[in-house]
Amino acid sequence: MNCRFNLDGRKVLLILSAMLCLLAASAGAQTSSGQLTITMSVQSSISLVFQDNPSVGTTGFCPLTNAGTNNVGLDLGTAAFPGNFHTSTCVNYQHITAAFYEVRSAFDVVVSKANSSSPNYRLAAQISTPPPNGVVWLVNNVTLTNTGFTALDAADNFGQRITKTLQVQVRNNVPAQVLLETITFLATAN
Amino acid sequence: MLKTYISIMRGAALAAMLLCGGSALAQTTATGVINGVLINKNGISLQFDTDPAGVTLGAAGTNAATANFGAVSAFGPLAAGVTRPSVTAANFTVRTIFDVQVIQGGLTSTTYTLTANLAAAAPTGLSYKVDAVTLTTASQTIQTNAGYNTDIAHNLDLVVSTAAPGAGGPAVGAPITTTINFTATAN
Repeated sequence: MNCRFNLDGRKVLLILSAMLCLLAASAGAQTSSGQLTITMSVQSSISLVFQDNPSVGTTGFCPLTNAGTNNVGLDLGTAAFPGNFHTSTCVNYQHITAAFYEVRSAFDVVVSKANSSSPNYRLAAQISTPPPNGVVWLVNNVTLTNTGFTALDAADNFGQRITKTLQVQVRNNVPAQVLLETITFLATAN
Repeated sequence: MLKTYISIMRGAALAAMLLCGGSALAQTTATGVINGVLINKNGISLQFDTDPAGVTLGAAGTNAATANFGAVSAFGPLAAGVTRPSVTAANFTVRTIFDVQVIQGGLTSTTYTLTANLAAAAPTGLSYKVDAVTLTTASQTIQTNAGYNTDIAHNLDLVVSTAAPGAGGPAVGAPITTTINFTATAN
């Protein structure tokens, strides 16, 4: 068998070029790709938080516990009808009639919005349980009930502090007891 | 006596020759060979896996997975596996975690580089980050020297403008879909 190959210069160059191409291909960086497809839906939302009023600590502006959240505490201390007695140094105490005294403290409500074209919001509030006879819970002089939300404001601006004053009015014949209420505030975008 | 003995021996010899000849003719074995050839190529592959702390990926374990954040908002509830690490007046961020696993074979490479890019421009009011790298349609490096054959967790952040629709914010109440291309390159 004749095993001789007849290679001229052009064939040699061609073979060498092919080999170089193969080598170059094998030497190239190995890559792999993938696709991650993300789906979501943006929803409008608003939030309500309670803040200490800038005048906190002065008379009528008690500090909130857990301020900056939507679940705060407001301690009005101990009070009694006789002698204008009250232990808290930050509450505003006064006799409002011959038979009632009132303890009040103010705080701020801040409602923020996101992804909404609503121009403002309305604010309402509700107490959690019926108060004892002779006890009235109010916000900005609006009496609250536990049977439904009572409107406080019709068009408050988002992102602004809205100062609200919580008042507890107690008749002078109310027995000694702890007066406790959870007051729910409801902001609704207009 | 001697003649008889010689005759017996001749007969025995003939029989032996016949037997030997018979066995040589009746061949009962055969041989063959297989010339096996395998071309072992080198290569790498990329797949997305569900991270225990993230949303459950659709088509996990493949290189074409989906991640559904569900309904997202600045203040409302979020789907399982989605967190909201920040809320500012201007925007909020929702996050999930996904895993990337790159497998290699036949390479001397011990690490890879991961890059990513958006398949199309981000929708209005949205931007996308992987491990704090804000994505564009141009490829950007997410990680260098990543190890093979193990799930590597990555944060996927969606930064959503709080602006209202039409005022620079994203569309509200409609599904928004975006595709991110990932490429792993052997180092």
